Amino acid sequence: MKYLFSWLKEYCDTDKSPEEIAQEITRLGTEIESIEGGQIDDKIIVAKILEVKPHPNADRLQIAKITDGIKELEVVCGAPNIEAGQLVPFAQVGAKIADMEVEEAKIRGVSSPGMLLSERELGLSEKHEGIRILEDVELGEKVSKYFAKETVLEAEVTPNRGDLLSHFGLARDIAAQEKMIEKPTLELKESKEKASDFVSVEIKTKNCPVYLARVIRNIKIGPSPDWLKVKLEAVGAKSINNVVDATNYVMLDLGHPLHAFDAGKIEDHKIIVSEIEQEIEVETLDGTPRALLSGMMVICNAKRPVAIAGIMGLKNSEVDDQTTDIILEAAVFDVKSIRKSSKELALQTEASYRFERGVDAGGVEYALDFAAKMIADLAGGEILHGVVQAGEEEKSREVRIDYVRINGLSGVEYKKEEVDRVLNNLGFKIDNDIAKIPTWRHDIFDWEDLVEEVVRMSGLDRVKPEPIKVLSKPEMTDYFKKEKIKDLLTSFGLDETANYSFLSDEDVVAAKINPGNLLEVANPVQEENRYLRNSLIPGLLKNVAKNPSFDDIEIFELGNVFSRDKEWTSLAIATSGRSARKAGEIIKQLCEKISVSESDFKIYDIDREELERFKIKKPNVSVAEVSLGEILPKCKFENLSLQVDDVEIQYHNVSKFPPTKRDLSFIVDSKISPKEMKKAILNATKFAFLVEVFDEFEDKRFGENKKNIAYHIWLQDKDKTMSDSSADEEISKIITSLKEKFSADLRS
Amino acid sequence: MKEGHLHPSTQFLRRLVKIYEELGFEVFESPEVDSEWYNFDALNVPSDHPSRDIQDTFWLKDGRVLRTQTSNGQVRFGEKNKPPFRIIVPGRCFRNEATDASHETTFYQVEGLYVDKNVTVANLFWTIDQMMKKIYGESIEYRIRPHHYPFVEPGYDVDIKNEAGKWMEIFGSGMVHPVVLKNMGIDPEVYSGFAFGLGPDRMMMKKFGIDEIRLNLSGDLRFLRQF
Repeated sequence: MKYLFSWLKEYCDTDKSPEEIAQEITRLGTEIESIEGGQIDDKIIVAKILEVKPHPNADRLQIAKITDGIKELEVVCGAPNIEAGQLVPFAQVGAKIADMEVEEAKIRGVSSPGMLLSERELGLSEKHEGIRILEDVELGEKVSKYFAKETVLEAEVTPNRGDLLSHFGLARDIAAQEKMIEKPTLELKESKEKASDFVSVEIKTKNCPVYLARVIRNIKIGPSPDWLKVKLEAVGAKSINNVVDATNYVMLDLGHPLHAFDAGKIEDHKIIVSEIEQEIEVETLDGTPRALLSGMMVICNAKRPVAIAGIMGLKNSEVDDQTTDIILEAAVFDVKSIRKSSKELALQTEASYRFERGVDAGGVEYALDFAAKMIADLAGGEILHGVVQAGEEEKSREVRIDYVRINGLSGVEYKKEEVDRVLNNLGFKIDNDIAKIPTWRHDIFDWEDLVEEVVRMSGLDRVKPEPIKVLSKPEMTDYFKKEKIKDLLTSFGLDETANYSFLSDEDVVAAKINPGNLLEVANPVQEENRYLRNSLIPGLLKNVAKNPSFDDIEIFELGNVFSRDKEWTSLAIATSGRSARKAGEIIKQLCEKISVSESDFKIYDIDREELERFKIKKPNVSVAEVSLGEILPKCKFENLSLQVDDVEIQYHNVSKFPPTKRDLSFIVDSKISPKEMKKAILNATKFAFLVEVFDEFEDKRFGENKKNIAYHIWLQDKDKTMSDSSADEEISKIITSLKEKFSADLRS
Repeated sequence: MKEGHLHPSTQFLRRLVKIYEELGFEVFESPEVDSEWYNFDALNVPSDHPSRDIQDTFWLKDGRVLRTQTSNGQVRFGEKNKPPFRIIVPGRCFRNEATDASHETTFYQVEGLYVDKNVTVANLFWTIDQMMKKIYGESIEYRIRPHHYPFVEPGYDVDIKNEAGKWMEIFGSGMVHPVVLKNMGIDPEVYSGFAFGLGPDRMMMKKFGIDEIRLNLSGDLRFLRQF
C-alpha cells in the first residue's frame, strides 16, 4: 500500500524525516519498499510569460517568450492555457523531472532551451491538462521555495496485518515510538427526520455480524475539492465524485471500506444482507457482467442484489450525477466468505483486500460517522438522525500473558512491566495477566504471538545471539552419495547441466513420449510448463542441440523425474561430436569406480530420425540413463565427505551473439601453473570469457624443463558476432601478454 | 584431459550444506511433487487464508502441487523423528509465473529446521550470524527485521546490501509455529524450534555477478563451463 507521509503525520506527531520513519516502520516488521517524492529540482524556477506566438510548423504548439527576471528566452509549449503575464514553472536545461533530464531540444524545427511544466511534471499531482499557473510567487525564485512534492512511502503489508492498511493503522503501529495524535471527535449535525424511518436493515446470513447504515438526503454530487483529489491521487486512487471520494478517503484514512448506495434506486428502502440461492447475472460498478454463484453474500433491496457484499457495488444502485439521497453502509463481513467470493469471481478490490484480512470491528461506527460528516461537508445535504443497525459488534478476544514462556522462547529477560508497557502501547488492555486483544488485531491468538510483539517493539538488538548446542556429527545420507557421483563424472571430464523439470508439447512430440504417462500441470502460466519430465534425456538432447559453439559435448544431469504415481532421482548422460566418448564408455568407467553393473543402465545411440526431431546437427549422439534409487544402495564409495572448492571465479556474462573459438599452444617453463596462465589470458582482453587447458606435456625437444601447454580460448563481443579480424587482434594481445608475463613462446 | 565442471548451483548448495554440516545439521531430501497438506496446510497455510496468494503455485491435475518451498520436508521429517533434531532440506522449488532476467519458475532453496527443548530466538540469531559470516566473510553487513510467515511465530527476514547499496532479502526464518509442531506430532508445550529458508540462487548471482537468472537452467555451456 502507498502511504502519504504528510497524511501519516496527521496521526503521528514526529519531527523525523520520511527516511527515518521508513526505517522505523521496517524495523517494526513492515518493509518500506520505496520512498518517492520530496524536493523539487533547484533548476526549476519561476518565469514570466511575456508573449505567446504560434509555432511556425505546428498548429498545436506555441512559442512562449519568457523571462526569468534576468534574461529572455523562447520555449516551445504544447499546453493551450498559457497567456502573456502568467507566472509559470520553468525547467531549465539540466533540471531533473521524474527520471528524465531536461535537454535543449529542437521541437518541429524550433529549438527550446527548457520547458514549462504541468502539475504532474512538477510531481505535485496527476494533473496534466495544462501548465501550472503560479500565484503569489517571486519571479526568478526556485519553485522548491513554494512547493514540495508529496512524499509517498510504499509498504509491503504482510497478510496477517490487515490493521495496517490505512494511514491511521500504520501510524498506530509506530505510536509506541512516536507520539500518536488521536482521531478527532466527531460532531454530526443531524436533521430531525429519523434514519430508521427512511431505511430498514436486516441480516439473513451468519457471515455478516454487524451492518450499520446512515442516510444523507438532498446532497449535490459534484467533483471533489483539489486537496482531496491531490491526496487520493498521490496514493494511487482515482477521484470520481465527492461522495465516492469521501468513502475512499475514509478507507485509506481509517482502513474501513464503506459503500454508498443511491437511495432512490433501493426499492422500498430495504437493505437485506443475504446469500444468493440461485446463480444470477449482474453488472458490477466497473461495467462488467458477472455471474454470482449460489452461496455468495450480497446486499439486496426488496427484490434483487444491489452489491456483492464487501467486494463491489452493482450498477443498478450506483451513485451518479442525479443522485440526491444516499444510504451509506459500514459493515463487518466474514473474512473467509469474502475471500471465497473474491476468488470465485476473480475480482479483488480495495474493499475485498481489506475485508479478507479483517477490519476493525470496534471502529465501524466511527468510520461511518466520519464518512457521513465528510459527505455532508462536501456535498451538502442533511444527515438523518441516528444509525440504523442490524447485528452486534463482536466482543474482543483475550489472551493469557505467559511472561515466563515469552522470555523462554525469546531468550531475553524482559521484565513484566516492560511486556505490559509494549502491549499497552499497542492497544491491549491488561487485567490480571489477561490481555484483551485490540479489535483490529486479527493475528493474535496465543502467547507466542505476543513474543513477536514484545521482541519487535523493544528492539531486535535486545536479543543477544546465543550458540546452539553441539550435536554429534550428522549421518551421511543419500545426498552425499549423489554428490560423489557428480564428482566422479566431472573428474572424467563431463560437464554438469541442470534443466527444467517441465516438458512442453513440442518436447513430448520430439521425444515420442505418451503424454498419458506424464503428470500434467493444471494451471501453467507459460505453455512450455505443461508436463513434468519422466526422463532427463529430452533435456540433455536439447542441450546438445543448443550449443553450436562446442564441437564435442559430454554432459550429465542428476535430477528428479516423475511418472503419474512415482517420483525418483535419475542420472543421465549425453555425448556428441567426433572426438567425444560414447555414453557407454563413460558408464563403464563409472561402474568400475562405484562397483555397480552396467546392465542397470539404459544405454543407446540416438538415431537419425530422433536427431532431426530434436534439431541436432552434431554427429554421434549417445545417451545413458539410470534410476539412482536402484543403484545407490549397491554403490561403494571410499569417502563421502563433501568436496567444496573455494576457487575464485572471474565470471563473464554471456553475450547474445555467438562466440568464436581459437586454439593456442605455448612452450613455457614447466613450473608455470596452467591456472595462472588462464588468468592472464582472461585479463589480456575483455573479449576472452572462457579458457580451458586441453593439453599439457613435457618433452625434451622443447628444451630442458620446458612444457607444451594448449588452450581453447572462446572470444565474444557483447554487441555483435565476433569477427575473424577482431578475434585475430585480440589473440595477438593474448600472445604478447603471455610472452611478457611467462616468456611463453607460441608454438606454430 | 578436458576438465569437467559442476553446475554452479551444485557448488553453491554444497557450500551451504558444508556450513550446516559443521553445525550438526543432517541433510534430508523431500519430494518435489507433494500433497497440499505437506506444502501448505501442515505448515499453517490454510486454503482460505490470503497467505496462499503470495505463492504462485503450480497445481497438478491430480490435485497435488509442485512444492513452493522445501519446507514440505519439515513435517515429513518431524512426524517420523523424535527431537532433538537438526535438518536441512536442499532442493528445487517452483513458482508458476512468467520468467525474466530476475524471475524464474524453478529455483533452489535450503530449508533448515532445529527442534529441541528451550530453543530460542537468541539461538536463531546466533545461527544466522554464523551462516552470514561463513558465506560472506566476517565483515558482512546484514540486518534482521521482523516479517510474517504463517509457519513461524515470530518470523524474521535477513537482508544484505546489493551493489546499489539497497537492502535485499536473502533469508526467511523464525520460531516454528506451534501448529506446525503439533502437525509433526511434537508437543509445543515441551519443545520449541527454529526454521529458516534461503535461496542460494540469489546469493550465487551476487557472488559471481550473474545478471540473468535463466542462464542457470539454460544448459548453455558458455555459462556452465566458466564454473
